Amino acid sequence: MAVLEARGLGKTYRRGPRPVRALDRVDLDIERGRLFAFLGRNGAGKTTFIKIAATLLLPSEGELRLFGHDVVREPSTVRREMALVPQEGKLFYHMTPREHVREYLRVRGASAETTKSRTDAILDEMGLLPYQNTIALRLSGGLQQRTLVAMVLATEAPFLFLDEPTLGMDPFARRQVWEVIRKVTGRGSTVLLTTHYLDEAEQLSEELAVIEGGHILYHGTGEALKSTVGREVRVQFAGSIRPELLTSFGKVFAERGRTVVLTTRSAVPELTEIALARGTEVTVGPVALEEAFLELVGRGIEEEE
Amino acid sequence: MSVRSQAYAAIRICYFNGIIPLWRSPLLIAAVFLTPFSFLFFLFVIAPHALFPYGVVGGILFTTLFTGSGMLNDCAYLRLERQLQQVFVASPVTPLAYILGMALSELAFSIPAMTLFLVILFLVQPIGAAAGVALVGVLLLTWLMATSLGFFISTLFSQLREIWPVGTLVFSTLSVLPPIFYPATEIPADWRWVAYLAPSTFAAQLADHFAGLGGAITTSIPLLNGPWFDVVGLVGFTLLFGVAALYFARWREP
Repeated sequence: MAVLEARGLGKTYRRGPRPVRALDRVDLDIERGRLFAFLGRNGAGKTTFIKIAATLLLPSEGELRLFGHDVVREPSTVRREMALVPQEGKLFYHMTPREHVREYLRVRGASAETTKSRTDAILDEMGLLPYQNTIALRLSGGLQQRTLVAMVLATEAPFLFLDEPTLGMDPFARRQVWEVIRKVTGRGSTVLLTTHYLDEAEQLSEELAVIEGGHILYHGTGEALKSTVGREVRVQFAGSIRPELLTSFGKVFAERGRTVVLTTRSAVPELTEIALARGTEVTVGPVALEEAFLELVGRGIEEEE
Repeated sequence: MSVRSQAYAAIRICYFNGIIPLWRSPLLIAAVFLTPFSFLFFLFVIAPHALFPYGVVGGILFTTLFTGSGMLNDCAYLRLERQLQQVFVASPVTPLAYILGMALSELAFSIPAMTLFLVILFLVQPIGAAAGVALVGVLLLTWLMATSLGFFISTLFSQLREIWPVGTLVFSTLSVLPPIFYPATEIPADWRWVAYLAPSTFAAQLADHFAGLGGAITTSIPLLNGPWFDVVGLVGFTLLFGVAALYFARWREP
């Protein structure tokens, strides 16, 4: 059963000298208990979609229903069901992680007992116990972000919007957050997550959508998206190799001074021979979601950023 | 959320946005004291001593109006710089609970200074219990009026840099230029009507009245003389700004 239903959702910003179309007739359904990832470049429309769904922004046209309620006409009803980690959100500088989690739960109406048990649990799960009584001003950026995510995940709200929740976190902290997100969805919450970390989307999401220029280009599973690349292996040469030597094996491109070939498993021995003949290091791995994403979106995301 | 849980949410917001920072940074209290006490000291040195009680009442009102300036800056900062208002919008917390909680937290910053000014007032201008209660009522209305205005203005801007000059302009105009620290009769007769453009004039005349000080504007129209006119003016502006904060503020971006 879909708990989020968007139909013909559109948004045009009219702040600057010319209107900017951020979302264009988007249709999307998200099923209950799903971990859904929204992928797209900066300015693709991910945050605009989340802002409309989280009742922070009015759409220009179309409809978005959360748990059957229209987010424009019934905001107070849908707000009871949601919690949000905003993009680049920051903490109250004078409060500790424990106070953030506790006060946010209390403000939302959680009882003292629930607040106590959830606060203890989330601080532990997010690795925040050693810093629980340190004021935010003295925490690193990654710990502040972890606290923000902790206060929102502790709500166990039926629908959680996480707009780039692991921004600025180290790989260990990201994995800790992933675990907690999985637990929360295991308890029945639905999660809509945006991220620029494609490994994060690959690890976490059961379903994803790629958005570009306000349009949804792809909606399905990560595995299905990867299969659209048509190759199963990524062979990366440490140095630069003339592309004409490799084009017969598959798709060739340069990435940060390295040559990459997307190819089939059977071509790996021959490509390894080429590398050895030139004294170049070679690494082989499965095609990642990143390749599929870049293929789909069509341009290099790194150059754009 | 029920009315009870909304009231509770407002108190919690006051606790973590007002009480905790005050407890951890007591210097914040000094920042609230500084400007009105400087004005009072200035008046004490250069003005006839008969005007000193006006300066004390002015100090109380200035500190109360300061909650509006604080509200404007805090709400804008939490929304634009820290993205924290969004965390409360996307939650069961109602706009009323959020606004009230923020307004209470601003009051928490001002209460120490207001209390000190009230003590000074009782020393220099003893007033009865009924007048004291009425004076507190005027201060509460002034707080509601100032914080509603502060919240409303804070929602109209999308850049923090645009808000700071506007806040300074609005709240300096409300708390320094009108007859807050001096009686309205000091304004040239032809220009006294201008004072009524500022809602704080009504608050100041009422506060002076309950403090037993004269100096209110009188006109040839009897209906416009006396405290009732000021009550209507202050309540009217409070309602106007309250409605603006609740119904016309951009709780949601257009």
